[in-house]
Amino acid sequence: MMSQFVGLYWREVLRTYRNPFVLLITIVQPFMWLAFFGSSFATAPSEVLVALIGTSSYIAFLLPGTLSTTMLSVGMFGAMSTIQDKRFGYMKRILITPTSKGVIFLSKALGGATRGLVGFPIMIIAAAIFGVSFHLSPIEWVAWVFALFSLSIGFASIFLAVTASSTDWQTPGVVSNFITLPLMFASAALFSGTYFPPWMQAISNVNPVTFSARLGRSFVLGTPTPWSDLAYLVLFAGAMLVIGYAISARWLKVD
Amino acid sequence: MNDGPAIELRNVSKHYGSASNGVLALDGVNLSIARGSVFGLLGPNGAGKTTLIKVLTGISDMTGGEARVAGFDVRRESLQVRSRIGWVAAEVILDDDFSARENLWLQAKLQDLKDWQPRAETLLRYFDLASRADDKVSKFSTGMRKKLEIALALLHQPTVIFMDEPTIGLDVSTRRMLWEIVTGVHKEFGVTVLLTTHYIEEADFLCDRIAIIDRGKIIAEGSPSELKSRVKADIVRVESTVPLEADRLSALPGVQEVRPEGNEWAIRVASSSTFLPAFLGSVPAATIRRITVEEPSLETVFLDLTGRRIGSDEPMRDVRQFYAQMRRARQ
Repeated sequence: MMSQFVGLYWREVLRTYRNPFVLLITIVQPFMWLAFFGSSFATAPSEVLVALIGTSSYIAFLLPGTLSTTMLSVGMFGAMSTIQDKRFGYMKRILITPTSKGVIFLSKALGGATRGLVGFPIMIIAAAIFGVSFHLSPIEWVAWVFALFSLSIGFASIFLAVTASSTDWQTPGVVSNFITLPLMFASAALFSGTYFPPWMQAISNVNPVTFSARLGRSFVLGTPTPWSDLAYLVLFAGAMLVIGYAISARWLKVD
Repeated sequence: MNDGPAIELRNVSKHYGSASNGVLALDGVNLSIARGSVFGLLGPNGAGKTTLIKVLTGISDMTGGEARVAGFDVRRESLQVRSRIGWVAAEVILDDDFSARENLWLQAKLQDLKDWQPRAETLLRYFDLASRADDKVSKFSTGMRKKLEIALALLHQPTVIFMDEPTIGLDVSTRRMLWEIVTGVHKEFGVTVLLTTHYIEEADFLCDRIAIIDRGKIIAEGSPSELKSRVKADIVRVESTVPLEADRLSALPGVQEVRPEGNEWAIRVASSSTFLPAFLGSVPAATIRRITVEEPSLETVFLDLTGRRIGSDEPMRDVRQFYAQMRRARQ
């Protein structure tokens, strides 16, 4: 099982970054996010920003949220990769070997999560170029990466489970629109949730994106760390992995 | 356990869809395929060939019956089966982002092989791919891609290789090359080959034994020569400039059946050497446009068993009758 997992996991990671276009977008996208979205409050008075988001740097506030929402797209790519394997017949090639459907799921979920994390150092460099300074301890760096990894595994598992029986190219996009946008906006990723209406706050309070953004923000802004948020994200990832594994083992369609 | 047949099927059935509105793709298939043989499953499109391969490789579950591959039960010992089989698809399936050597590496990982490199290098040399081993396979020709696919299937030294329509869509020269490869692989690596095809000449050339499958049932099985010897008849095809009457043709000596096929008559006779003199004596020679004699072949075996040709799903219509109807309709 380990051998099959390693082979399929590396396949996921390598084939993504052998596409020069994907590589270019991975590098350029963080700069664009921070340049365009981070500049939204460029001319806002500092005291207004401090009152609204607790810091005078919107980019420092935005960075952890942007990293968290980036992890949402990881799931869509994982699901698309699975559908591509089904449609081009590669899924059959895999399954006519002693490889279980559950291992295919795990390799796609972890491969996708790894792919998502490659953007992390690029985003940090981009934020530093835009003037954000980082004073994190090694443990905080590791915890932040682990939180994002957990978040991406959770969402990759949801996407893979939902699209397990699909062979339609359109499905991951539709599911992504259905899941990603509401979770992005009903979270503390881009804005402070303080002024959300109660129903939106209720969603934000259980939304893993909020937990990830809040944890990362505490590291960047040097505020007290909500370590329970990390535990929540690990639980989320674990639960989604178990559910996704069970669904894929039962319903992953071959062609 | 390892001395038995390479593949054994007992009353295997496969039903797609609901019980009331589904398709019976395999209908009580019984087969026993000896180790070391090249066995052909010959039949038209939709006969159940690919379904049978799907069932035997564990891709699809059978509805009923029992099957064993390499001595293991397909359903209960699926893992053991899948570590002892290789697969060559109708359409070449490789990872185009990877090189030939990386595709072999991935296959080794999927088969959980430890010491796979020497075997991989041997296969790359055997298939003349060593000099291109580090090139992306997306740059390979169709023939090279097929060779690599067979190398992947052989990497873990399988007992059985399944080849599902291995030459479909290939040009004649690549098809010939592949036939030589299959023959060579069988001799060199001693592997049992089960191949499906709807090409008569392919089955005839490659296979020690053949099962003819039609509408999910095995309707005949034997060596190519055994199957051909079952048809104790020749098919004489006649195209003439004037209409021929079926009754008059049927009355000629040795005629077993007269059937219109396109714009000619297909006449099944006990012996063409007895029939032809009588026929040529009964019609003016100038009216005969063409006569061909078809000796027993796997095509005639299939025709004899089903009343259809392998390439067609329906009996051929008489084109002359069609045009006659059109003329009447216009009047």
